[in-house]
Amino acid sequence: MTQEQEKLALDLINNPPPGSELAKAKEFGVDLTLFISTLRRTPTERARVLSQGASIFQLAAQNAPAEK
Amino acid sequence: MKLEETLRVLYDAGVEFVLIGGAAMGLQGSAHLTKDMDFCYERSRPNLERLANALEPHHPALRGAPAGLPFHFDAETISRGLNFALSTDLGDIDFLGEVTGLGAFASVRAASNMMSVSGIEVRVLSLAGLIKSKSAAGRPRDLYVLPELKALEELKKKTHSE
Repeated sequence: MTQEQEKLALDLINNPPPGSELAKAKEFGVDLTLFISTLRRTPTERARVLSQGASIFQLAAQNAPAEK
Repeated sequence: MKLEETLRVLYDAGVEFVLIGGAAMGLQGSAHLTKDMDFCYERSRPNLERLANALEPHHPALRGAPAGLPFHFDAETISRGLNFALSTDLGDIDFLGEVTGLGAFASVRAASNMMSVSGIEVRVLSLAGLIKSKSAAGRPRDLYVLPELKALEELKKKTHSE
């Protein structure tokens, strides 16, 4: 994202136009500010974040109590 | 899961595929995490052979199947089925012959866009395609992500971001 794109994105996220999908998502509880960090990343960086994030599920499974 | 490595393995083998599901959402800019990778694959015999050969070194096994159940992920096996949930050395991978709401590979491919990941060009289901398929699937976990996907699509269009 360029600085201009980021500024426009921040404006839209902070003040989503009434009736827009952004406004509906905010109302639903989506943290729109996360889009800034995800869109700053290149697709390669996003792929790395996804792979790292998946390890959380693996850790959770390993630490889950054994079924009786 | 090893997303970059998996994409490289499939790409190097010349497999015709589209990345779909949670990993596609993430590459399109969603903040959701996922524990597995989903692909739609083209079902011509040569592509099935390429897919089977690409996966063989990574020990594909049917996920959740009892240990010792005979299973060999070869072109013949793939041709007799459609969707496969596998565990591999690369992570859990689902290969789907069709995607709910979109249809077979040609339609899924048409709803994808190219993205450069680690120096290779791969097809990733677009936000419009993800919204269409998740709306059609209609499970609570699909409907739950729709507001985020629609907002992300709107934001990317308005800011001309990728």
